[in-house]
Amino acid sequence: MADRVWEVFRQEAEGDPFIHGGSVNAPDEELAMHYAREFYGRRQESVRLWVVPREAIVELDDPDLLQPPFDRSFKRPGGYLIKHKLEAARVRAGSPAGSGEPEGEA
Amino acid sequence: MTDLDAATREALAELVLTLADDEFVLGFWDSEWTGIAPMLEEDVATSSIAQDEIGHAKAWYELLAELTDDDADRIAYGREPDAYRHAALMNHPRTDWAFTVARRFLYETADSIRLEALSRSSHPGIAGLAAKMRREETYHLLHWSAWMRRLAEGPETRARIVAALDRLRPDAEAIFSPLAGEAALVTAGVLPDGLAALRAAWHERTATELRALGLPVPVDEAPAPTEGRTQRTDDFRWLWGEFTSVARAEPGASW
Repeated sequence: MADRVWEVFRQEAEGDPFIHGGSVNAPDEELAMHYAREFYGRRQESVRLWVVPREAIVELDDPDLLQPPFDRSFKRPGGYLIKHKLEAARVRAGSPAGSGEPEGEA
Repeated sequence: MTDLDAATREALAELVLTLADDEFVLGFWDSEWTGIAPMLEEDVATSSIAQDEIGHAKAWYELLAELTDDDADRIAYGREPDAYRHAALMNHPRTDWAFTVARRFLYETADSIRLEALSRSSHPGIAGLAAKMRREETYHLLHWSAWMRRLAEGPETRARIVAALDRLRPDAEAIFSPLAGEAALVTAGVLPDGLAALRAAWHERTATELRALGLPVPVDEAPAPTEGRTQRTDDFRWLWGEFTSVARAEPGASW
């Protein structure tokens, strides 16, 4: 039987994100499910498994698309310095500085 | 179940012993595939299923120990080969992969019918264990049926499966060999259906599956062999020597 590689994703509890567990070799979907269960589910460590043939995965690893050469820090939340703007807004609203929601990264 | 008379209690102990020994001996035979199964993933699956069976045997031996004021380890490892009560199906060695798949198919179909009946037992200990085991055995049956379908496809594997089924079928009938006190167990509802009725259901079930795979369907309607659970073979004596070797090396040791 010619084997295919299947990637297995597991969910530890209802509502949790699926995380990659690893992969199994199996000739078809049915045995892939059985083996995924044996490797990633038989110790009650998963409530749900996703078993995906590796060739169904679309891979993107082009550095020109994923690692742009210019500074793109402004595209991250941390790229904005908003601490002083927040303080000013609080003063205008009449609430003391340092109260209210946590500010996070400034 | 203190209201059972002595004869029924004895029959109950005999029934639980047959359940335990079937799972125990089959679990040991199949654990021999560890390291040499057809592929790594299947090696893990077969070993894990074999382990499940030993776990089921442990649960039955513990129930039996409670019923007879005995010790589960003593029952499992402290008997001479002739005192084991597994069906003749489990007298055979591991042999080749097709042989193991054929044995598993015959056993799992029989076990699922037997556990379904036992989950309706009037004995709460038996009903509870049978219900739990059914959940695990569902996967076992799926797995071995999947292998039956695959081996039924190729000409070489198909010939091997047919030969193995042919050789094993008469000894698989022994799973439903009558027990000494069976009538009392049926009357008390401990065994909700007689073994002959379970055997008929098993015939029907296996015939349907074999027909679907285009494999020969046996037509033997002879009654189940009465000696089906008492005849032991040299192959089993060898396995017994293996699985009791540690227990015999240091009798009474605590591990």
